[in-house]
Amino acid sequence: MRPGRAGLAARYLVLVPVAAIFVFPFYWMVVLSLNRPDSVFDFPPHLLPQWQLQNYVQTWRFVNWPGLFANTVITTVARVLLVLVTSILAGYAFASMRFAGKALAFSVVLAVYMVPTEVTLVPNYITLSRLGWIDTYQAQVVPLAASVFGIFLMRQYFLTLPRDLWEAAQLDGCGHLRYLAQVAAPLARPAVVTIALLQFIEGWNAFLWPLIVTSTDRVRPLQVGVAAFAVTDSTQPVLLAAGAFMTTLPILVVFLVAQRQLVGGIASTGIRG
Amino acid sequence: MDPATSFTDTAPVARTRARERVTRRLTLAGYGFLAPALVVLVIFLLAPAVWVFGLSLFKWDLIANNPLFVGLENFRILLTHDDLWWQSVRQTVYYTAVSVPVSMALGLLLAVLLNGRIRGRHLLRGAIFAPYVTPVVATIMIWQWILNADYGVLNSLLAAVHLPRPAWTLSPNWIMPSIIIYGVWQHTGLNLVIYLAGLASLPAELHEAARVDGARAWSAFWRISWPLLSPTTYFLLFINLIGSFKVFVPVYVFTTNTGGPDHAAETIGFYLYQQAFAFFHAGYAGAISVALFLLILVLTGVQMRFFSRRVFYT
Repeated sequence: MRPGRAGLAARYLVLVPVAAIFVFPFYWMVVLSLNRPDSVFDFPPHLLPQWQLQNYVQTWRFVNWPGLFANTVITTVARVLLVLVTSILAGYAFASMRFAGKALAFSVVLAVYMVPTEVTLVPNYITLSRLGWIDTYQAQVVPLAASVFGIFLMRQYFLTLPRDLWEAAQLDGCGHLRYLAQVAAPLARPAVVTIALLQFIEGWNAFLWPLIVTSTDRVRPLQVGVAAFAVTDSTQPVLLAAGAFMTTLPILVVFLVAQRQLVGGIASTGIRG
Repeated sequence: MDPATSFTDTAPVARTRARERVTRRLTLAGYGFLAPALVVLVIFLLAPAVWVFGLSLFKWDLIANNPLFVGLENFRILLTHDDLWWQSVRQTVYYTAVSVPVSMALGLLLAVLLNGRIRGRHLLRGAIFAPYVTPVVATIMIWQWILNADYGVLNSLLAAVHLPRPAWTLSPNWIMPSIIIYGVWQHTGLNLVIYLAGLASLPAELHEAARVDGARAWSAFWRISWPLLSPTTYFLLFINLIGSFKVFVPVYVFTTNTGGPDHAAETIGFYLYQQAFAFFHAGYAGAISVALFLLILVLTGVQMRFFSRRVFYT
């Protein structure tokens, strides 16, 4: 329902300035990254960009960007794919299969939901160093290859599929795996997209765990590399801003393209249950 | 067709055997589907959560690799001799007590204003939500510069209106407020989006009430919408409290991995990280993990006890 005219004006009077404040740091990231290096020390600051595109050229030389980008893409894509596979399979088993001990298995998953990941940092680090996995890709991917939220979401979705579909497929001699791959999973596309988007963002932004289990630029992701750059070279704000913008841009693009699915997916965690 | 009738011409024994075989095959198939997820969750989440309790009973320097059983000694030191631990607890509580109410209240206010069919809704929502999904390290780097004591935008704004200019991240008194400002900026979008979903699920007649202007809308909101939103508020309080109790990355980046001037930004999450991965005190870090775990359990327990009775489920 549309609010009254006076009410509407009052709403915009609050909303527009607040939204502007929230967007400002992104604007400032771009402005800083395009300013002349010495002008950032002027006070008061310049509010408009000076279009110094060579800042990006210089930033590009400072850090092994192609390597860092490649590492982030590899670990993020692997994580998205693995979480999708584990969530779809487990979600389907919980929703549509009958077997002994299912309730127990489900309560294990629920129990895991209560564990804060910070508590697992030290034991997992020990496990991975025993496996000889420190400073590898798999260390950044395998421990995160299953998601409780992903399993819940897939289960919820599979529960809504009509039972007749499965019965019809069975009459055609279709087993669970083929039914899942050819019928159920394609029908659950909204849930699959939501999980993929959320995992993509989490993977791209991952910081604490990669910081702990990587030690060289060979496998280190973007966020850890940029943080190292920030710590060692904090005197060059212009270059830092250019670096920050390069790591943020892919996420901003995904966000602009898929805002609706993303917001819907995140909001569904709130109205679940 | 009744499934039992299809077997009427087979002997009862054969029937039971056949059924057992089917059940066994179904069970195997079920676990086959579950296995990939369960193996990962058990090895990397459930087992470590149990193991960390055992770990906390040892004195163990990760490099020297000689675990020594010391019983509850780590906890005795932590609780009675470690000022830095208590400081990190106080600062975590400070961060939580300010950032959670502020960002939830702001999220609710913005959700109420954005609720309904208003022009530019997606754009405004997207603007406020974007900080929640963008890389934390990158946005903190920009905030560091916005909050810069000498050349920052915020201080030039404060100077323009003749207010005092704090040193923000360089000052022991202002480093926590800096991190709180960042936390609110980063997290309000999540609260907004979930409150919007909560508002959208309220009965349609309530949106009529939103048309009433002024004082009546105000009291209608508190009497009708707010109680109906209580499950959303309860859920948000839950995830906000847990999330803010674990705050780490802002401390790490804002203080360039030092914990701030005079440890003034040390939080439980950061202290845990330092003990484990800067000093390699695995056993002691295990004790900190257990303490954090218990704190979170107590926090959620208290929340359930005091708030669940006030939650209004339709």
